[in-house]
Amino acid sequence: MNRRTGGVAALLAVIAAIAAVAVTTATATPNHAARALVGCKGGATIGLLAPITGPAASLGEPQQRWARFFVSRWNVTHKKFKITMREGDTQLPNVAEATKAAQTLASNSKILGIAGPAGSQEVVATTPILKGVGLAYVTGSATRTTLTDGSRSGYFFRVVPPDAVQGPTVARYIVNILKKKNVLIIDDQETYSTGLSADAAGELRSLGATVSRDSVSQSASDFSSLISRINNNVDVVYIPWQLPPKAQLFAQQMREQGKRQILFSSDGTFDPTTYKPAQTAYNSFFPVARTNKVVTAYKRSHGGQPDFFGTPTYVATQVVVEAVAKACKNGSASRAEVRSNIRKTNIKKSLLGLRVRFTANGDLNGGRFGIFRVTNGNYTPVG
Amino acid sequence: MPSDELPSVPAPPDAVDRPRIGVDQWVADVEGREDERSQLRRGFERVPSAGWLAVFVAVASVLPFLLNQGDLFRYGLFTLLYALLALGLNVTVGFAGLLDLGFIAFYGFGAYFYAILASGHFGIHWQAELAIPVIVVGAALLGLILGLPSRRLLGDYLAIVTLFFGQAFVVFVNAANPKGLSGGANGIADVDPINFFGYELTTTKDYYYFSLIVFVLVLGTLYFLSRSRTGRAWRALREDPLAAELMGMPVNRLKIMAFMFGAGIAGLTGTIFAANQTGVFPGDFDVSLLITIYAVMILGGVGSLTGMVIGAIVINVSFEILTPATPDHARWLFYATVVIALAARVRPWQRLLLVLGGTAVFGFVVHAAVQALSPSATDGTVVSGGFLTDVIRGWAIVPKHPGDAAKYAYVGLVVAILLVTRLRGWWRALALIPTLYLVAFVWENLLIDQPAVTRFILFGALLIALMTARPQGLLGTSRVEIV
Amino acid sequence: MRLRLHPPRSVGNVLFYVGVAVALGLLLREGFRLGWPLFGQLVVNGLTLGSVYALIALGYTMVYGILKLLNFAHGDVYMVGAFIGFGVLNVFGAPPNSSLPVWLLVSLMFLAAMIGCGGLGVAIERFAYRPLREAPRIAPLISALGVSFFLQNSVLLLLGSQFRQYPFGLINPGGVQLGTVFISATRIFVIAGAAVLMVVLTIFVKRSRLGKAMRATSFDREAAMMMGIDADRVIAATFFIGSALAGAAGVMFGLVFTQVFHFMGFVAGLKGFTAAVIGGIGSIPGAMVGGLLIGLGEAFATGYVSSTYQDLIVFCILIFVILVRPSGLFGTPAIQKV
Repeated sequence: MNRRTGGVAALLAVIAAIAAVAVTTATATPNHAARALVGCKGGATIGLLAPITGPAASLGEPQQRWARFFVSRWNVTHKKFKITMREGDTQLPNVAEATKAAQTLASNSKILGIAGPAGSQEVVATTPILKGVGLAYVTGSATRTTLTDGSRSGYFFRVVPPDAVQGPTVARYIVNILKKKNVLIIDDQETYSTGLSADAAGELRSLGATVSRDSVSQSASDFSSLISRINNNVDVVYIPWQLPPKAQLFAQQMREQGKRQILFSSDGTFDPTTYKPAQTAYNSFFPVARTNKVVTAYKRSHGGQPDFFGTPTYVATQVVVEAVAKACKNGSASRAEVRSNIRKTNIKKSLLGLRVRFTANGDLNGGRFGIFRVTNGNYTPVG
Repeated sequence: MPSDELPSVPAPPDAVDRPRIGVDQWVADVEGREDERSQLRRGFERVPSAGWLAVFVAVASVLPFLLNQGDLFRYGLFTLLYALLALGLNVTVGFAGLLDLGFIAFYGFGAYFYAILASGHFGIHWQAELAIPVIVVGAALLGLILGLPSRRLLGDYLAIVTLFFGQAFVVFVNAANPKGLSGGANGIADVDPINFFGYELTTTKDYYYFSLIVFVLVLGTLYFLSRSRTGRAWRALREDPLAAELMGMPVNRLKIMAFMFGAGIAGLTGTIFAANQTGVFPGDFDVSLLITIYAVMILGGVGSLTGMVIGAIVINVSFEILTPATPDHARWLFYATVVIALAARVRPWQRLLLVLGGTAVFGFVVHAAVQALSPSATDGTVVSGGFLTDVIRGWAIVPKHPGDAAKYAYVGLVVAILLVTRLRGWWRALALIPTLYLVAFVWENLLIDQPAVTRFILFGALLIALMTARPQGLLGTSRVEIV
Repeated sequence: MRLRLHPPRSVGNVLFYVGVAVALGLLLREGFRLGWPLFGQLVVNGLTLGSVYALIALGYTMVYGILKLLNFAHGDVYMVGAFIGFGVLNVFGAPPNSSLPVWLLVSLMFLAAMIGCGGLGVAIERFAYRPLREAPRIAPLISALGVSFFLQNSVLLLLGSQFRQYPFGLINPGGVQLGTVFISATRIFVIAGAAVLMVVLTIFVKRSRLGKAMRATSFDREAAMMMGIDADRVIAATFFIGSALAGAAGVMFGLVFTQVFHFMGFVAGLKGFTAAVIGGIGSIPGAMVGGLLIGLGEAFATGYVSSTYQDLIVFCILIFVILVRPSGLFGTPAIQKV
């Protein structure tokens, strides 16, 4: 036997040994994590999944700040039941990092519930992990309609209405109230925007409007050439983007080239300090009470920035923490208990101005969107 | 893996006394260092590579019994995936010396191809024993196409073309998405688990063992390949393409083969990844992963197979320990690394003792002084960290509202560290004391509050420091480039 | 001995001119089809973007020319420049309630950004690249990635992730109406400013002592050192100038495109790198032409095809140029001497 065949034989032996170990230990150990009781007398732990770094950090940081804000407020008023929050960085759009972060939280047996993740694709990818260990996850920003198709019932919840509510609301407003018939939709090539664009386009077409589509890359920093080619017979430009500063630049460059179309944007760009177009513009968002004392307190402790994009995560954290607190009344709780408590959540009026009660599939019961007219940074509710 | 050994020629009896004519400074230096190596280290080098492989496999096989599922997923599975990717990249870059910056596209191609062949996306559900060979061949063919320009382009021009190929792949699957092929920004969800003749891999443990088997196979293949005619030809090509061509080597065919091998391994890894993640998304195949894999390869030492494994372990494990979800681990790792780095770099031991002791005393003095001046400057809450918390509370300054002070301190720290690297001898030891205290201050007030950002900053600093200390990587062999 | 690594030059040349002719033909067709005002507007858009790319590409190309190093941290130096400009703006306030006249404010922004970035570039070279000068080529590449990670995340840590806004139309909210094409004052300023910087750089490199030393060093470092040129000083100067140009590009970007944030350097760096390669990496006029070409290519791709395919189209231009001119438009043909 020469050296090479010897080596090959040795390799095969090693592989056989690994396979043997793998097969003999493959007797599936049933997962007890979901029903295991965790002692939580003086306090409990929850998790947060958000894109704290990476290209979408400007979305994740507000979510992180609002979630931390809820926890610190809770800990001030509940001295006997303190909440600890463990954060996982999902680095949107890098889904592999999201699954790693979810695994870290999932394998921490102290964690009873999770606020997040932020993106719809992250929800899809982390579902097997979180469901496998019986964790509930409440998102404040994943709005793809099909997430609540029933395959995640009892585990996945969201405190914001889905695209299927927002898109048609916008479409009906454009056709029925503004009486406009020719709409250009520009998405920004990520899941939130493409999903919302599809829902709005479908409804617009069924209402008899003419729809044209284009898209810009997430990394684009100049829209002037795209704007140059906007046809003069277009009445409304719909930009359901997730980054308010890009929408602001788009608005500025439209004015620079003297384009007079009405600009319509979505909840992703609801940011009075950043997105303040000087032309006629509309925006769809939750009917949030902007003079709410929570918002005022947040602004005071964060240098005047309201970071509205993070408000739904505040509500999501609230839902999780309240469910955990209820489950911990008797000194211990299980993830299953927390899940059933979240399902029974009933908040009369959340920070978003919506009633939080969940359907069996995890959607808000009767969630709706408000339309705001935007004039120089002032957002006035108009419908 | 040790390189090919030359048959040893017996030295002349009076070798020591002879003048060393024709031996230049560099060679003499290297030989001197070789002689200085300790007995222990030479002992390590005598262990045959198969022995190391056996040790690695033995340790790796028991990991699932020691780690919980989450840790096995993050530490075990992803280390193997990174190691596999680095092995593939190592063929193109390390063996053949072709700077391929589009490597991740092959990984993405494998993942997407598997997702298309085995999911509800088009309702096709292939078994893995059929899908995997098809994917590996497909990825290798894609490697052939990308390898074609490598026949003409030199070094950096090849780098830019391949880099753009990688970018174009992401644009293609994300934005172009012809006929719904790749699912656009939503990717493809609900991908089937890998299914061999009806035996499904379902748990993380299954995927871990499967990846381990694939890893051993790939490593073994590459080991023999690197010692084969082709492997030697690749190395010749890397060292000097012109000379290789003049020796009659089929340079173009060798280049394309290197691309195909790398691509095939990446495609195979992508398959495992897609099945384990149960979905593929455009964001998975971005440049950040390319940078990570390059870091793995270069940290381990370009061209070394063992190096790829070590690199993957170091990069992935340190990244995961610094995850924001476990701040206690991060603090331990941080202080331990600082102390170990000092112990390794500060000599003699008296000086090390001075630095460590000096820093401790300095801390208590400063803490007491600040407390006397303004009590509110030291009564902030220390982020949780076991028994270390109490020590830190009495030693480091943690103001209630650090505000911008911590940020200025951070900038000051960067400048201070750069200055310390310029000092020598006892001056450096003295300057280290306040610098170390500043490190603790910045860590406790700024970095530990933002662990997610911190790990990237530390990663960046680590890359710079490591390259300065060991440009050839941990296990690479230092080469002199002859101009 | 010499070895030819290209197809015969004549074949490449013929293909090149055919490609240029086809591209011009397509542009003419679209121009007639969609009207010349749109064409004019796209040219203005492309030139603005291209000027910024060209300034970034200059830094890449100068450093490459002298050290054969792909300085991946260059894009992040540009990002820091944009932030320094923003910092100056923050200190003195934006025009209506600024304590300074606009021209002084803008000059200060440029001055601060250029000096700050220049210093940063020199520091990066001193601490991250100089120890690796004799190391294998790939080691400084990784060091550069490390610097890039470090800078990007330090800015994220210190200044947060939110976008910072330059005021729109800071220099002058008006502009010039040329027929049906409107050119804002900011765009004129940026195009002209970039042109001035490039002319000054060209004269500097051609005429001044230091410029000559740079060219000598990039031609053959060892020979230059033997002639008594202090290579370390020349390299530091190159980094200073290249990084200062990137700083200026950052401020210009802020003035036209208003939104600056910590991740902006990555994409811009990639574009600058591409521009440098298309022009022929190491060649200064090449970087300028490459930058403008990429800017115009993006504008026409967006305006005449779709912004969805913008990046793919630019990729095709790159592949075409590299295949017919393997060392870029202005690069010296790579003849390897042994």
